[in-house]
Amino acid sequence: MQFEVLATCHTTKARVSRMTLAHGVTALPTFMPVATQAAIKGLTPQQVESLGITLILNNTYHLNLRPGTKILKEAGGAHKFQGWNHNLLTDSGGFQLVSLSKFTKITEEGALFSSPFTGEPTMLTPEESMSIQHAIGADIMMQLDDVVPSLTTGPRVAEAMARSVRWLDRCIEFHEKSGRKDVQNLFAIVQGGLDPELRDQCLDEMTKRKDGVAGYAIGGLSGGEAKDTFWRIVKQCADKLPADRPRYCMGVGFAEDLLVCAALGVDMADCVFPTRTARFGVALTFRGAMNLKLSKYATDLTPIDQNCPCPTCKGGTTRAMLHHIVTLETVAAHAVTMHNLTFQAQVMGGARDAIMQGTFPAYLHKFFDNYFGDVGYPEWCVNALRSVGVDLLEGKENAKVIPGDGGNWDYSNPKKQ
Amino acid sequence: MSTISFQLSATSPGPRIGTLRLTRPDGTVLSLKTPGIVTATSRGVVPHLSPDLCAQTKAVRWVHVAFESFLDHDPPVPTLLTGQNRALARFLGHPHSAILSLSLRDPGDIRTMPPNGDAHVSANCIRGVRKVTPENWRSYGQSCDPDIIFALTDTPFTPPPYSQKRLTKSVERSLAWVADILRSDSPARNVFVQMAGGTEPAARAAFSEGLGARLYDKEAEAVKPLKTLDEGVAGYSIDLGPLRTTLGDRLLHHSKLAAVLVPDTIETADLTQSTEALIKLVGASLQSLPQSRPRLVNSCTGPHEILKIVKDVGADLFDAAWAQRAADIGIAMEFHFPVPDHHRDGADKLAIGYNLYDHVYAHDFRSLCETDSATVLSTPLQHSSVDSPPTMIPASPFTRAYLHHLLHTHEMSSHALLTAHNLSVLAAFFAGIQGIVSSDSERVLFAKEVEVFCDVYDVSSVLFDEALKAWAGVELARGKGRLGREKVVGAE
Repeated sequence: MQFEVLATCHTTKARVSRMTLAHGVTALPTFMPVATQAAIKGLTPQQVESLGITLILNNTYHLNLRPGTKILKEAGGAHKFQGWNHNLLTDSGGFQLVSLSKFTKITEEGALFSSPFTGEPTMLTPEESMSIQHAIGADIMMQLDDVVPSLTTGPRVAEAMARSVRWLDRCIEFHEKSGRKDVQNLFAIVQGGLDPELRDQCLDEMTKRKDGVAGYAIGGLSGGEAKDTFWRIVKQCADKLPADRPRYCMGVGFAEDLLVCAALGVDMADCVFPTRTARFGVALTFRGAMNLKLSKYATDLTPIDQNCPCPTCKGGTTRAMLHHIVTLETVAAHAVTMHNLTFQAQVMGGARDAIMQGTFPAYLHKFFDNYFGDVGYPEWCVNALRSVGVDLLEGKENAKVIPGDGGNWDYSNPKKQ
Repeated sequence: MSTISFQLSATSPGPRIGTLRLTRPDGTVLSLKTPGIVTATSRGVVPHLSPDLCAQTKAVRWVHVAFESFLDHDPPVPTLLTGQNRALARFLGHPHSAILSLSLRDPGDIRTMPPNGDAHVSANCIRGVRKVTPENWRSYGQSCDPDIIFALTDTPFTPPPYSQKRLTKSVERSLAWVADILRSDSPARNVFVQMAGGTEPAARAAFSEGLGARLYDKEAEAVKPLKTLDEGVAGYSIDLGPLRTTLGDRLLHHSKLAAVLVPDTIETADLTQSTEALIKLVGASLQSLPQSRPRLVNSCTGPHEILKIVKDVGADLFDAAWAQRAADIGIAMEFHFPVPDHHRDGADKLAIGYNLYDHVYAHDFRSLCETDSATVLSTPLQHSSVDSPPTMIPASPFTRAYLHHLLHTHEMSSHALLTAHNLSVLAAFFAGIQGIVSSDSERVLFAKEVEVFCDVYDVSSVLFDEALKAWAGVELARGKGRLGREKVVGAE
């Protein structure tokens, strides 16, 4: 991997960089859409490519179950299997073991779980996870980490953190010996729950292993913790991680979260949110989410966003048309998915341009004013951005501030007059 | 008033090729070789093909839309675009280069419906049944501005059999509604007429004679300067769906079926079991009508039936609903006309496609199709000045193993790829028919080639039956409502 920082923001910690992998160049900061089972739901790889997306994510757990490593090897790797010629990242499979499997038991050796098909006990070790990811052939692989739910407290968190460090060593060793270091890159995952002390210890240990890893992920977040805690942990990690390695915040996909993370120095993020919400009929816009199922859109003959360059908006598909087919025809899911992925890419592309031009603080102001100006600014965003020198409320004396985890959702039709 | 010109190779019954030219009010001329495909839609869109993919799929030259799904809103939303050219096509995002035809009801929908009346047709929308009068229909047509509009028709969808009285009424009403849409005070452009009369040849002949009969008095006044209704008609259509129901043909894969309703065992049937009877009925309708108008046949069961109808009746357009439905249930079509030499002497029958749910495809890295249908390179979007210059990398065709994986993991992308593929295979099949008919002055060759095709390709429904069962299995294990079903199972 080649990683080159092109520009840093004069005020915030945000930066623009160029990451060159075996399947091309990806400009950072970026959002990575999730193709869980080797497909962005409903789209063809060419459609994804045409949206200007150059890095997607596959899930190791799912691909290991189906089609399995044997078929992936026969196909010549996951890129060839799914016809995706750009960059690919795989997670380690550890998260799904915890989130999907009821009977997972973590031992020092690895994660013991019952196979969802045969019910047989199966062991996923750090070495096994590496080996599966080698078969998949992703440009970026994640270490196997010991994942505990974000809200867990007590000694289990410390144990998971320490074990993740030990498992990182095993992943590094396995990867070193694999002979695939020139084409695949290993990322470490910083754990430590919501405890700053544990996070610090983990950061210390993992940065010591910098020579063995190409980048770092911030894990163990986006699991229901308070947003005010979330950003503080992200900031702590981003501040301490080496500047010459990309930083990846796992499971983040709301536009406001992405921009806050970017301002804190994060380069990459992934989430199923924009694609999943599209299937439920929610389109993302610079003025907030738009729930196309609501009857107020039934006769609305304008596109989702007049200025959006996605095929759906460019092609003139109206909100009324999407309302007519949403959740009833797969075409609606495809059309809104393409829009939402374009929206995410536009938010991040806009951030890259602004950082390059030295106008990132103004970009943040503009985005948050458009997105939250009407409904109120989430307090945690205000706090997080203040910590890096941007005051969203500057010059707005009567600005509404929403405490808690606020978002901008489109819940209801206007009340009848 | 028709803006369709149709040039035919032959004017006597039997196989024929032609060129259909449709001129739009703005002067655009769309040209189509026949026999050819009409792409079916659901809620106005080609299932699984987003507008960008649909525009890239060259086989989509004509889309047929049923208006009834818009009746859930009053007034129907597309009518809000009144006054715009191609209002409905624009609303739905269909390509400019595709002909759009509009009927009230979905020609593939054969479910039981409340009876029609003297002045209304019962149509189906998501909120239930709506009554549509001829007057409504004329106004919807005017607002939507389709290239072709189908006159209302009185097809009974109450359970068969139908009395002679009912069929007589059906013929009378249908003729009256043709007259209504041709009224000279607000004439519709390019009217297609569905051939009424049910499974009674005499009733079908009576309908056709009614179309061709000289009009007098008030009737003539209403449609003047037309001397007969037929003069104002641009084309004929025959919906085999309801006829098949009346004949007692219960093929399962014709129309959408909920996964829970798919039986564990499906009796293998012959896909052409009703074809002979249907050809007689089609013949009864067309006998007295001029040869020179395009004939559209809806709801065929597959290539065997299409070939027989082309051979015996000389139909020009066929809907692709059966091949699109096959894409829903994981079938990739693969058949050629004329049959390629290397398939001619095989001992075993070939299937007209393959069921990609079958585990034999798990390791099959052959590409889905020789001619890649859905990869047209466009310039990718660029989101910032530091992005790499936008270039698309030419994609290698999708493999059967990948499609197999997508089907078993319930990924929607599979159906998009299969729909584009199946439509392309069907387009190539029709191009093959055109080639043989054009080189065949004696019409012996075509008949012989049809025979070879029927010898080589299996005519049984087994491919569809197995795919349907496999599809239902995955759908029930992973599809919509899965959590609810699992809860029920868990509670037991």
